[in-house]
Amino acid sequence: MNEPALVRGVTPNWRDHLLGFVLAAVYTAILLATSTNLGMNRDEGFYVDAGESYARWWGALFDGDAHVLERASIDAAWENNHEHPSLPKSLFAMSWLAQQRWHLFPEDSMAFRFPGMAMSALSLWILYLFGTRLFGRRAGLFAALSYALIPAVFYHAHLDCFDTPIVSMLLLVTYCYHRSITEPVWAIWTGVAYGFCLETKHNAWILPLVFLVHFVFVAGMERARRKSALGSEAKAASSGISLTPWWLVGMVLLGPPLFIGMWPWMWNDTLQRTGEYIGFHVNHVHYNIAYLGHTYFSAPSPMGYAWVTTLFTVPFTTLLLGAIGIVLRARAFMPTWFLAKVWKSGNPEPDRARTDVLLFGSFFTPMFVLMMPSTPIFGGTKHFLMAYAMLMLFGGYAFTRLCEAFSAELERMWKRPEAQHLLTGFPRGKVLQQGLASFALLGLFLAPAARDTAHSHPFGLSFYTAIAGGVPGAADLGMNRQFWGFTTGSLVPWFNRTLAPSASVWICDSTYTAFHMLQRDDRLRDDIRVAWDLRQADYAIVHHEDHFNIVDFQIWEAFGRVDPVYVLRYDGVPIVSVYENPHRNP
Amino acid sequence: MTESASNSASTPRSRALLVVLFLVSGAALAELAVNARITSEVARREDWMEALAFVRGEWQPTDVVTSAPRWTDPLLREAAHSLIDREMAGRSDNHRYARLWVASIRGAISDEAPEGAPDFERDFGEVHLARYALPTPSLRYDFVDHIREARVVRMDGTRAIACNFTPSFGNNISGGLQAGPLEGPRHQCDPARPWLWVGATTTMDFELRARRCIWNHPEGANPIISTYESVTLGERVSLYGGLWWEQERTLDRGDVDLVVRVNGDEIGRMRHHDGDGWKHMEASIPEALHGQTGNVSIEVTSPAPDWRTFCWAGGMLGGAL
Repeated sequence: MNEPALVRGVTPNWRDHLLGFVLAAVYTAILLATSTNLGMNRDEGFYVDAGESYARWWGALFDGDAHVLERASIDAAWENNHEHPSLPKSLFAMSWLAQQRWHLFPEDSMAFRFPGMAMSALSLWILYLFGTRLFGRRAGLFAALSYALIPAVFYHAHLDCFDTPIVSMLLLVTYCYHRSITEPVWAIWTGVAYGFCLETKHNAWILPLVFLVHFVFVAGMERARRKSALGSEAKAASSGISLTPWWLVGMVLLGPPLFIGMWPWMWNDTLQRTGEYIGFHVNHVHYNIAYLGHTYFSAPSPMGYAWVTTLFTVPFTTLLLGAIGIVLRARAFMPTWFLAKVWKSGNPEPDRARTDVLLFGSFFTPMFVLMMPSTPIFGGTKHFLMAYAMLMLFGGYAFTRLCEAFSAELERMWKRPEAQHLLTGFPRGKVLQQGLASFALLGLFLAPAARDTAHSHPFGLSFYTAIAGGVPGAADLGMNRQFWGFTTGSLVPWFNRTLAPSASVWICDSTYTAFHMLQRDDRLRDDIRVAWDLRQADYAIVHHEDHFNIVDFQIWEAFGRVDPVYVLRYDGVPIVSVYENPHRNP
Repeated sequence: MTESASNSASTPRSRALLVVLFLVSGAALAELAVNARITSEVARREDWMEALAFVRGEWQPTDVVTSAPRWTDPLLREAAHSLIDREMAGRSDNHRYARLWVASIRGAISDEAPEGAPDFERDFGEVHLARYALPTPSLRYDFVDHIREARVVRMDGTRAIACNFTPSFGNNISGGLQAGPLEGPRHQCDPARPWLWVGATTTMDFELRARRCIWNHPEGANPIISTYESVTLGERVSLYGGLWWEQERTLDRGDVDLVVRVNGDEIGRMRHHDGDGWKHMEASIPEALHGQTGNVSIEVTSPAPDWRTFCWAGGMLGGAL
């Protein structure tokens, strides 16, 4: 059975795949174009180091050096950053190898970032196909675009990191799993995709649990249906639902082998290293993060964190449509017994694959994990972006319903006699009307998101929506200002213009690799040096996060002054202060 | 599968959807409008510069300047240039000042502003400037200002071991989150324990605020004593004390005790418990000593001194100049 189960759903054809590809390609192009003023963050610096290390190994392998498969060679190359799986970093490495050979990108940072961008943009393709398949093309298009235009997504999609690539992988596995419910052959693709997902980031671990809950739901309902349909074999057989969890077989048989197989670090001492990898993330330290005026640094984390930060960072209209979509689909993810007792009639009816349960579960699970008091909350919204992707599918459904209502209303109005002479010469036809209505609403509903996304760059992590009162409102509320020190990149024009020849800068939260990348990219003057000793630095910067205040005060003592020579602002809110050492060599 | 994809504007469901459509469209337009308003009300760098240039023109030696909301502090310091020094930026109170300037945005009110109307107000773009009269300055002697001249010893039983003054910076000058308050010129009490020093620095208190203070990590039950000799005694000693946020925030470490003596006699004490934050105490000077000169000693101990990054500030208040 290859037909969509939901009434508005459309089986994607090659044109849909082409459109999905175009969406992804255009998004990647936009990310590339806008990356030139986005400084690298701390973690990107670590992954550049890892990528270069892995590139040497891959390069030797491609050159036929048999020694690279020896343990010593593997460990030497793959020891670096072995707390995260290798797929994205191997892609960074490949891209870097290609850059060294063919100079594909104008900046080195682009070479490292490109695979992350492409992997992130894949989300749009999958969201379009998934949305189209479930609720129609308008829903798919809205889901893809609204996800792309979430400022946090736009920021993370630029990076040589894993937080938006893992969303693509999670979406891919979820899509395959959904298909496998009615087409068991997709269990193979589910397993393959899960292997890649495991190899991208540890967020993958939770996925089988989500699917299991959904599958129990599906199987329970299906058994009940078949029981009630006894004697009508044709009816019982028509659902196409498989009660055997072939998807689980695929995930178990294919996922771990692919995970181990693609990660050379795991080829030796596999069990011990797997345990080490799991242990690192299960016992992950809590980093400092400000939330509603309090800096959290350990458990318990505030339960409302994921919800409040979502409210404060996702454009409101986008959120509203997602919420409306959930309300409109609510009946479809309720249990049958509940509907029979409490909500006996209405639309929509659940499909046999209980698609809405899967969507809602995939939306709610990352948020729920963040509600656990033991879950660290550092990283802003980056750990639950998958929830946004799922929410955007509900938003796509809401968008479709509103477009239909709008089109119908237009049609009704245009049929009025008094409208006829006014519309002379105006293009007519139901399809055209629907198209115009859809595009008008698409533009209107996505305008705030487009504005927010454009306005957020290159301060993505510092951005807050109108609900929070914008960036200054969030500062009033005591929300996190930034993390990872990426805003050093926004100081480049000032540095180039102001710093004396060979001046040294103490770089606070930036890593050397991230700072040096500004020079590798020919953005920052080559003569500017990094200072490791605060007292000896000509200049010092502090990234404004509440817990970094101590660094501000260290600089006051080291330099004997408290007045920065420059404060980088975003909507009037301090992002980075630059101090000049009065004792520096002129 | 009963949901219908066809629509008719005449059904209640369709009418409800039209209402939702109207609301969402309104929300989108409102969101755009609110964003436009937020960005249009942002205070420009020039606004801050003009406001503080005005303050500089009116500045008197006993003036102090602050800003509201608190997150604007870097913007204030950038615009104020040399008007603000470490002592002002890390002050615990306003006892040494006679007038308070407040530069504020977005209608914020400084928690330092006294009750009552300001005696001066003016807008500079989006920056609102106000000036308040403060009570007559009462600070006679600041312990942080004079820590270099103080005699500092650590007690080993009944034996006093001098903490020698070192005018240079310590080794801990790499800076960074883990480094804590920077050690500048200081009385070094034990070279083998580099954290055992007494000297002026700026710490980050429990509320993550700047506090210019005297680093005085306790050694244990044996006190470290800082003695200010021949101080003109006023009416009371005002002291503040607290720990570097990173070492107080876990709320599970040892107390720190501080004792104030005048001419060897205890006149007050304070016990700092994790979570107390930047704690304040006052100790009265015996009336017979008002206006006299005397020795003021501050003793710091802790029954569990591990990670007790204690820092204190304060001075002599009241009495004739």
